[in-house]
Amino acid sequence: MSDPSRDDERELVERAKRDPRQFGALYDRHFQQIYRFVYSRVREQTAAEDVTSEVFMKALKAMPRYQDTGRPFAAWLYQIAVNAIADRYRTLRPAQPLDDFHDLSVAGPALDDLAAHRDEVRRIWALVEALPHQQRTALVLKFQQDMKIEDIAVAMGKSAGAVKLLIHRGVTRLRDEAATLRPVE
Amino acid sequence: MSAHHDPELDDVLQDSELRRIASLLGAVKAPEAPLDDAFRTGLRRQLMQEAWTMTEGRPSWWRRAFAPPGIAWAGAAAGLLLIASVVVWLSTQQSGGTTQVYVASPIDGKNNVSLQQPILVSFNQPMDHQSTQDAVQIAPATTVTFSWDQSSRTLAVQPASGNLAPNTQYQVTVGPGARTASNQQLSAPQTITFVTQAPTPTPAPPTPRPTPANPLGEKQLAPLNGAAGLAVQWSADSSSIYFIDGKGALGVVSAKGGAVSVIAPDGTSSPSISPAGDRLAYLRGGKIEVLTFATGKTDEVAPAKAPTLVGWAKDKLVWAAMDGIYMEGDAGPSLLAALPTAGLVTVVSIAPDGSRVAYQLDKNLFVLELGTSKSVQLGQSGSSFGGWSPDGTLLLYSTADHLVVADVQGVTQSTIPLGEATWSSQDAILLGSDTDLYEVRPDGSHQTKVSNGTYHLPLWAPDGISFAYVRGTSLWVAVAPALPPEPTVVDEATAVVKSFMDARLNNKPDKASALLDDNGQKAYAAGGLNLTITGDPHFSRYYVLTQQVTGTAPDTVTFVVRLVLTHGKLDVSDYEETLTLVRDVTSKQFIVDQAAAAGRRDLGKGAEVVSVDVAKDAIKVTFDSDLDPATVNDGVLLLDAKGNQVDAKVAYATRTVTLSGLDLTAGSQFKLVVLTTVRDVLGHNVAAEYDLNLFGPSLKKHGNHRDVVTPTPAATPSASPSGSA
Repeated sequence: MSDPSRDDERELVERAKRDPRQFGALYDRHFQQIYRFVYSRVREQTAAEDVTSEVFMKALKAMPRYQDTGRPFAAWLYQIAVNAIADRYRTLRPAQPLDDFHDLSVAGPALDDLAAHRDEVRRIWALVEALPHQQRTALVLKFQQDMKIEDIAVAMGKSAGAVKLLIHRGVTRLRDEAATLRPVE
Repeated sequence: MSAHHDPELDDVLQDSELRRIASLLGAVKAPEAPLDDAFRTGLRRQLMQEAWTMTEGRPSWWRRAFAPPGIAWAGAAAGLLLIASVVVWLSTQQSGGTTQVYVASPIDGKNNVSLQQPILVSFNQPMDHQSTQDAVQIAPATTVTFSWDQSSRTLAVQPASGNLAPNTQYQVTVGPGARTASNQQLSAPQTITFVTQAPTPTPAPPTPRPTPANPLGEKQLAPLNGAAGLAVQWSADSSSIYFIDGKGALGVVSAKGGAVSVIAPDGTSSPSISPAGDRLAYLRGGKIEVLTFATGKTDEVAPAKAPTLVGWAKDKLVWAAMDGIYMEGDAGPSLLAALPTAGLVTVVSIAPDGSRVAYQLDKNLFVLELGTSKSVQLGQSGSSFGGWSPDGTLLLYSTADHLVVADVQGVTQSTIPLGEATWSSQDAILLGSDTDLYEVRPDGSHQTKVSNGTYHLPLWAPDGISFAYVRGTSLWVAVAPALPPEPTVVDEATAVVKSFMDARLNNKPDKASALLDDNGQKAYAAGGLNLTITGDPHFSRYYVLTQQVTGTAPDTVTFVVRLVLTHGKLDVSDYEETLTLVRDVTSKQFIVDQAAAAGRRDLGKGAEVVSVDVAKDAIKVTFDSDLDPATVNDGVLLLDAKGNQVDAKVAYATRTVTLSGLDLTAGSQFKLVVLTTVRDVLGHNVAAEYDLNLFGPSLKKHGNHRDVVTPTPAATPSASPSGSA
């Protein structure tokens, strides 16, 4: 059975390929998630706006050459975003330390010790920040953006196996560095 | 917490501690990203503009989609660039399965929509043609034709007259009667609102220039037989060249080439064509010879003192002798002005209008005004004369470093690079030399290298297109490329009106106030007009209804500006301000000198005049609505200053009433009247009589900064040179 939202997206993509002026519908659909992803990486509003502009402008220009590989269109946008952020990081460091990651909120049922859990989550994400760039990106796309391995592979321009390896190495490194983390119930 | 389980990670994270960490990572949401909605919509706009840029240059999709011949697309001019984007809001499938109908347009909310395009109305699903067309309402009243793209999702609404009206807010409403192809109705009327741009002026046809075989069409005309200088005159019609060769022979040759006709075999100098072009004066054997072309007869004037140079003041001969400047009169020659008696004096040039001469006294250069006998020095010692402007009110002299453009009082106006200069009737200066040829505006702008090569002593033809010059030992002729057109007086003044009105629109009274002179300040002082317009309805846009040159000394341009007041999205009323701009004596910039306002008029109540174009022989009055042609003839009138109706032929086409067959005297006052009997195609009468004061147009087009320089005659005539500032 075909996924109706995927069919809908394919039609939008096909239209935008034929006529770039139809790109607006794709923008409307994906702006929010791309902006949030970019913001989560650069954590500064102006920088997030700059990078997001770059992502969509590049996507628009490359639209006629876009090939549907069966992956979601968003995976391609993430790929452009990952590269744009990497370009930016070559010259800039994140503007704020991770301690400013205040808005952290927890999904899921209430915890017996919510405060402790939040603290643990904050600490572990602080450790994520210290990971090598590619491991960090893979973890963010997997755990924050809830992307499938195959889609992350597209976004990062790697094979699915390579993405799995990055996630494995990243999580292993977190375990090693967070040996003192309190176990979750 | 229940562990975050992701089957994709089962084979990646086999260790339970790794899974625990993964569950922690998955348990957190990304922080809420602060988002500026203006950024989101702004980026969308940028993207859509870029999308349009990407599609320009190939046939626009709507042209292809609506391509079948016979559909009324003729009005959309070829080469049209559609500057907006098509945005189709696609429906969101709702859980109930119903789909809402959305209407959108690439020009919705736009403020500068070009006139040559259909109004595209997009729907998010295929529409039933007839019910949708029937549900479309357009204001102001406009007769339109409809056409659909193949998907029946985009409707093109095309004014039957071809173009949209200028300076007009359009509202296109699709009423609830519109149905989709699957017979679903619009839930509510949806309106698209946009404002069109000002009418685009018809560019004046460029001056025809011959297309030369070589870049400048250079042509060798005649040998100069070793002439040291170039004593040359063009005929008034720019067709032939009079020149004196190294043996003193005066000849004439066609600018197209051919044989040289000899007028005088030897001993001639200083040829000078009369301003009317009917006579040629030259010196020979200490006398002035005057050849009248019509008769071929040569007259002789034999002054007591041998002339050294001859020229013209209108139809009278003017010449220089050792002791002074003389003019031919009915009772014989009269001395106009004496030359200094001490030192070595050489008159180097007589102005084209015969009112002044330039002379060298030892190493100093002076200009002598013949009417007052007053001399002023040009520059410092060592300056040499470089030429006159065609009307004789400005001149060129060279210093060691550059050429100075000065007025006849010696006041520097600008500087341009050194070269052998000639100043054209089109205000272009050619600068010749051994190695290259440059062209430049007198204000130093638009400096352009025309060619490499030798161009000595260039001399423009009166038409400002061809020029004669010396190369090697011969006389040559060539055609110089035109410089970009100079801004007209109206262009210059319009820029100031724009700054003034933009400042008011953006609520920057200080900036607007800086463009007012003392009179202007009084007009906008307390109790007068409002410089800042506040309140609701709010001042949302303005446009120039008409503009006219109403004076030339100093340059004066009068504008009628419409200020449009808007409530919500809709233009509800407007009023006119008549602004008179004059060129400031000191800065030479235009400044608002007078202002007056008329009363408010409600919009949306019958046809409105949105543009008035005044020429000497015709006035074009453009309306925002299609009119009932039967009501136009007696409804649009021109009255003279006494209130009498001016005879005119009245024609109506494309929302424009043309009053032709006029002969408006420059500067005379007229009143354009639109009576309430004029009706639009829906039968609405003009809400209130509309009157607009107009002036017979001045023919002058180009700015003339020197108009404001008024020479002050010296109280006591004096022949002795006085130093310049």
